[in-house]
Amino acid sequence: MSHPPPYGLMAEFSGAEAMTEAVRAARAAGWARLEAYSPYPVPEAAEALGVSAAPVGYIALAAAAVGAAISAGAAWYVSVHLYPVNVGGRPLNAWPVFMPTTYLVAILWACAAALIGMLALNGLPRLHHPAFFARGFQRASEDRFFLFLSAEDPLYDTEETARFLRGLAPLRVSEVRSS
Amino acid sequence: MSDITAPIAEAALRPGRWGFRLSVLLGVAGVVVLAISVAAVLVAGVGVWGNNIPHVWGFDLIAYAWWIGIANAASLFAAILVLRRHGLRTAVNRFAEAAALAAILSAAFYPILHLGRPWLFYWTLSYPNRMELWPQFGSALVWDFWGIMSHVVVTSLFWFIGLIPDLATMRDRAAARGRIRAARAYGLLALGWRGSVVHWHRHQAAYRLVAALVLPLLLWAQTVVALEFATTLVPAWHQARLPLHVVVTGLPSGLGIVLALAAVLRLALSLERFIDDADMDLLARLVACAGLAAGLAYAHELLIGFLEEDGTTRAALKARVLGAGAPAYWGAVLLSAVLPQILWFSRLRCRTAIVIPVGLLAAAGVWLDRWSIVVDGLLRDHLPSMSRGYTPSPAEWGLLGGTIALFVLVLLLFGRLVPAVSMFETRHEESEAEAEEEER
Repeated sequence: MSHPPPYGLMAEFSGAEAMTEAVRAARAAGWARLEAYSPYPVPEAAEALGVSAAPVGYIALAAAAVGAAISAGAAWYVSVHLYPVNVGGRPLNAWPVFMPTTYLVAILWACAAALIGMLALNGLPRLHHPAFFARGFQRASEDRFFLFLSAEDPLYDTEETARFLRGLAPLRVSEVRSS
Repeated sequence: MSDITAPIAEAALRPGRWGFRLSVLLGVAGVVVLAISVAAVLVAGVGVWGNNIPHVWGFDLIAYAWWIGIANAASLFAAILVLRRHGLRTAVNRFAEAAALAAILSAAFYPILHLGRPWLFYWTLSYPNRMELWPQFGSALVWDFWGIMSHVVVTSLFWFIGLIPDLATMRDRAAARGRIRAARAYGLLALGWRGSVVHWHRHQAAYRLVAALVLPLLLWAQTVVALEFATTLVPAWHQARLPLHVVVTGLPSGLGIVLALAAVLRLALSLERFIDDADMDLLARLVACAGLAAGLAYAHELLIGFLEEDGTTRAALKARVLGAGAPAYWGAVLLSAVLPQILWFSRLRCRTAIVIPVGLLAAAGVWLDRWSIVVDGLLRDHLPSMSRGYTPSPAEWGLLGGTIALFVLVLLLFGRLVPAVSMFETRHEESEAEAEEEER
């Protein structure tokens, strides 16, 4: 029976500072395929990884615009064309009274899009991920910090990379298998 | 640091104690009463209620406006804590969100049931149908439908987004203890969260964005309810100040409930360390502030009503304040505006035995104000045939008691199945506090 191919190497740290330093060191060494894991948000590490959260906002904004347009359009089409009701001679296209639902639907769409967009950008939901095979990884949701260097990165070399990670003073370095 | 996660997670994972089981049993019994009251309306129609002409609205709208007020103040509080990154948010925003969600679930019963034919509620949706019937977008009822729906969905999203990382912690803890089925259930709900720093970054952006969007939604949800009143010709209701009045007087109810819940949670789940005395202190002072704001709203009502409004409005207000409606009116002022003022005294606000009744009575006071507006606003009508009174029937009392039981049951189950205090935020906060100490 052959071993499953290696997925990468995982280094475990006891604090957010140590992990952030390790992320900076890995980025400085030219690593592009890397992930860091923490039990709570670490904005400095996210900055070191060069990620921006702005797309979540853009997705929500676009969804709000689309939702508002659909809601206002539907209100106008229903009131003017499909079911015109003459209320004391008031205009059929009484747009101010269409605004409450437009406003509510825009907020509704923006909130749903913020959640769905956040999950889609994160590649979630997924039932499993090779990172969960790493030793002691369940503590990533409690009190440990991890840096993962992927085998798909051109810099990857099992021996060389393990030596690099040990140089960052982790608690432990372990190999992660892909299945 | 696992001494932070452990007590909170254990509260959800350890077997229930008899006190908890008894409370759940009582909650379930109350929900059975709710089911019977709902069935009575479905089978016999709204005739089982005490409503009549002119009292077309009774308990249905009183309780609806009251629950929405509780939900609003609770989620307003949670959203502001998230946005301000306030220290208190780690302790109380999770169950403030849960209380808001449970209150909206209770509120949602009333507008649907009071339609008369509740099973046709979907007629307020705009969809192509064989009757070629379309909703009127100028109708406050249609606004209300969208308002409630957005409120339910957005509050659930707000609560769920904050919960995802904690569900992942629950998954890992349940798995470590060999409880595979619990781990699978939490794991499915955690959506495969693995704590990637990149994911956290986007998660925080989405959480704060939804918190920011909750604020304009809340003002609107309560305002629409009040607009429905204000667009009628009933003298006590037909006032431009009504939306403001309902929003402001709603605050003591929701904050009072959150305060009482915080005190109960501290005792029942032994979370004194996470909901500490400073948290309780701040929360109690907020309730006192809300009471003050409500007091100003009542004073404004009297001032505007007696000095500026026309004769019919003045007569209606006089009947509410000095006539047969006086007990409800002054009860509301006393319980929701005056009583919370005792929380300014630090000796009183640190005592659980004081804080819980004051919080709950503030909510009860707001209920009396809703009664005063909805029922006693019609005390003085101008046609002799319309001088009938309004007495709630057992079916209405059952509905009110039943929705309160549902609220309690939902909160009990939340407290039991999901972490009552946000674990990842507590971890974050304590690590920051440690870092500050090291610097010193």
